[in-house]
Amino acid sequence: MKLSSCKGSRRKGLTMLGIVLMMGASVLSGCDKKKDDTIKVGIGQFAEHGSLDNCRNGFIEGLKAAGYTEGENITFYYENAQTDGGIASQIVDNFLEKGCDLICGIATPMAQSAYGAAKKQDVPVIFTAVTDPVAAELANADGTPAGNVTGTSDKLPVEMQLEMIREVMPGAKTIGILYCTSEVNSISAIEEYKEAAGEFGFTIVESGIQTTADIPLAADGLIGQVDCLTNLTDNTVVSCLPVILEKAREAGIPIFGSEVEQVKIGCLGAVGLDYYSLGIQTGKMAAQVLRGEKKACEIPFEVIEEAAFYGNTAVAEKLGITIPDALIEKAAQMFDTIEQ
Amino acid sequence: MTVLLGILEEGFVYAIMALGVYITYKILDFPDLSVDGTFPLGGAVAAALLCKGVNPWLTLVLAFLVGALAGIGTGLIHVKLKVRDLLSGIIMMTALYSVNLKIAGKANLPIFSRETIFENAWIEAMLPDGVKRYVTVILLFLILLAGKLALDAYLKTRSGYLLRAAGDNETLVTSLAKDKGLVKITGLAIANAFAALAGCVYVEMNGFFEISTGTGTIVIGLASVIIGTSLFKNVSFFKPTTAVIAGSLLYKWCVSRAIRFGLPSNDLKLVTSVLFLIILVFSEKKRRGKKNA
Repeated sequence: MKLSSCKGSRRKGLTMLGIVLMMGASVLSGCDKKKDDTIKVGIGQFAEHGSLDNCRNGFIEGLKAAGYTEGENITFYYENAQTDGGIASQIVDNFLEKGCDLICGIATPMAQSAYGAAKKQDVPVIFTAVTDPVAAELANADGTPAGNVTGTSDKLPVEMQLEMIREVMPGAKTIGILYCTSEVNSISAIEEYKEAAGEFGFTIVESGIQTTADIPLAADGLIGQVDCLTNLTDNTVVSCLPVILEKAREAGIPIFGSEVEQVKIGCLGAVGLDYYSLGIQTGKMAAQVLRGEKKACEIPFEVIEEAAFYGNTAVAEKLGITIPDALIEKAAQMFDTIEQ
Repeated sequence: MTVLLGILEEGFVYAIMALGVYITYKILDFPDLSVDGTFPLGGAVAAALLCKGVNPWLTLVLAFLVGALAGIGTGLIHVKLKVRDLLSGIIMMTALYSVNLKIAGKANLPIFSRETIFENAWIEAMLPDGVKRYVTVILLFLILLAGKLALDAYLKTRSGYLLRAAGDNETLVTSLAKDKGLVKITGLAIANAFAALAGCVYVEMNGFFEISTGTGTIVIGLASVIIGTSLFKNVSFFKPTTAVIAGSLLYKWCVSRAIRFGLPSNDLKLVTSVLFLIILVFSEKKRRGKKNA
């Protein structure tokens, strides 16, 4: 009995030694890798939905326009955290290990993870789709970078959106907003909506949720009390937009979006940012950093200025609402089908 | 080197939490899900206090205490209100989500501009540049070591013996004229204090508190404990606490390698679960095999 346990312990000892050697070898092999010439860029995205995907594609396009073409002189690594903060930091560690020359963080928590980890090694971080870089401590109050980090902000054009809703629905009194209590961007946007709503004769009814699982009930509750819904850039809510759209359609009230992708899939209209252009703008900033013209810490963050109207006539028809001609004339794009 | 540092840093942080999970899962046989709430609780406490200018080292102590309170809460729900163990943890974890939001004030609280235990004027002024890269990992190791030694010492005290007895044989505790409920509550308090301490350190290391960081903490903790205790079970010079730490490092190493060699992060949780299951079944089989022999 005693003998066997002793043997077992030795075998365990060997296993352990093996594991340690394996770990060491794998880590060393990572170090030995030769540096090749192509530039490596890690793109970490916090959630998966149309708006952020557009950001990412725009970012790649922006770099291409500045002379960095994938497969020729630049390699992209793309990972999605699916709204899990723990995985976000793992993704960034992996980018750093791969020796990325620059990390792009899409949406606030991803940008913060990237900045927090990359600053130790002075790898520049470019963010996009961060609504309030100052509140996220990625930028100082005067707009200068907080460190070797810069990018673009996707602040919502709240007043233009309210003005548009007033034009489309002259009789509406209440607007419902669904948001996730764990997204800071949404909380600051809600405040802005509440402040501006009175000016256009609206009252805002808000409903906070914690996870996507809360959405169906919260949407039912909200739809019963309001004339229409409007979206923020809330990642949790936007990821589940089809569910909410279905419920609103049954109740016969419209949802206004915050971005073009949402209009494509069934929102009546949106004064939205073009996330693709936002991505392109971000990509160009990244190119400046990669070329060494400027360091990320020398470029203040940028806000996209143009917001445009997008409308969906197929949705309008279903709801029996007419979008005023004045709006259609100045629309950036009108859609006449609903994407599934 | 970067890789190794990353694995060690993350491994050490989660090892602090895994020490707590070791108490509940291995010693008390109590699957305590409250750590999914107490880990970010520690983080929220740290971020909120640092924003108020509290000394970073003091936040560790306070996070530890607040975590213990939450553990006592879980214990009271289970012992006094007679709610099943798993459910008590779920109730506490769910409640803590709102509590964490209250403490931090919002879902995402950055502390990049604040002094932390890893980044402060003293370190900036006193240490040469070459050493600064290793400050984080060294400090984490020291905190972990302090936690481990304290726990080892505690398990040798009277109260520690009772704790171990409570998991093995509840009647023994009762026959010693001790309240087994109280022993359980003590164990949960210590376990969650460790989880909150880990969360506190984690937030100071990453530079921001984010409400979603707690999701899946228990899985990492359980994986570390099970990998550690089953792999190093027969290594006589390894105390169980050391085995748990080794388990945590090994787990983090596996995950980091998995991503490195092309596993999409979307599949990560599936792979983790499968790995977890294999180890569980494997260690269970061995135990049964031994019993039969």
